[in-house]
Amino acid sequence: MTKRKTNPTHEENLDAIEAHLAGTLKPVTPSNDIVQRLRDRIQFPSRDEITLRLSDWRRLFFVFSGVMSGMLLLITIARAFYYLVGRRSAT
Amino acid sequence: MSDLEYNEEKVLALASKGDRDAFGQLYEQYVERIFNYVYYRTGNPHDAEDLTARVFQRAMNHIKNYTDRGVPFSAWLYRIAHNLVANWHRDRSRKQEIPIDDLPILPAKGDHPERNLVRTQEQEALLRMIRKLPPERQNLLILKFVENMSNAEIGRIMGRSEGAVKSLYHRTLLALRDQLEGQNLNLEGE
Repeated sequence: MTKRKTNPTHEENLDAIEAHLAGTLKPVTPSNDIVQRLRDRIQFPSRDEITLRLSDWRRLFFVFSGVMSGMLLLITIARAFYYLVGRRSAT
Repeated sequence: MSDLEYNEEKVLALASKGDRDAFGQLYEQYVERIFNYVYYRTGNPHDAEDLTARVFQRAMNHIKNYTDRGVPFSAWLYRIAHNLVANWHRDRSRKQEIPIDDLPILPAKGDHPERNLVRTQEQEALLRMIRKLPPERQNLLILKFVENMSNAEIGRIMGRSEGAVKSLYHRTLLALRDQLEGQNLNLEGE
């Protein structure tokens, strides 16, 4: 039975590569400008998100019914106002 | 530590309900790590910036899906980043653009500028080699050295066992050694 020998130079080579990887792959610091620009981009909805929202039929339905209800309320108030003013001027 | 984890849970719960401020806290926590990962995978700070923004935008749009899966949030973010980087590489190869082999060296934390200058050529040679490795090996090296993660943590992100990560790491070192020997490059000791 042959006994497998570990080659010291082989291990040393790998250790050297590891040391260089550690020296090369270091965490980088993105500039404050980059972090701020990213923050700005993320705080506001992206164009994709707006498109997604518009394609969401449920959200669209609520928006549409909200607008219609608002308009109906305005018309009712205007009609009531017109009616009251009209009555007063008639008397 | 448990307090931090508890806070993250709370922040995640709020963020998954659409709380933008809570998501902002997650952003502050992970932006540098994701930027680092994307930067080393793309080799370009401009694309790294764009892709990092897309990672967080996608995360914000799909954060509800995250809570159902039970993997660490960081692992989920890295997977999003990995997928976007893979798409980026695919689109680039389709467009036949000039490949970027030279990774501009951004200042590393705690490095002296003159030391950076001395090592740039060696670093560039090694980085070029790393960027020619298969994506999963690049991921492994970035997570291990840039993010200082253990094999177990890397395994959770890559969806592999700790042993499989250890074995992949050893094979990656051997591949790099063979490439160095093939190119007659000798990395001098520190």
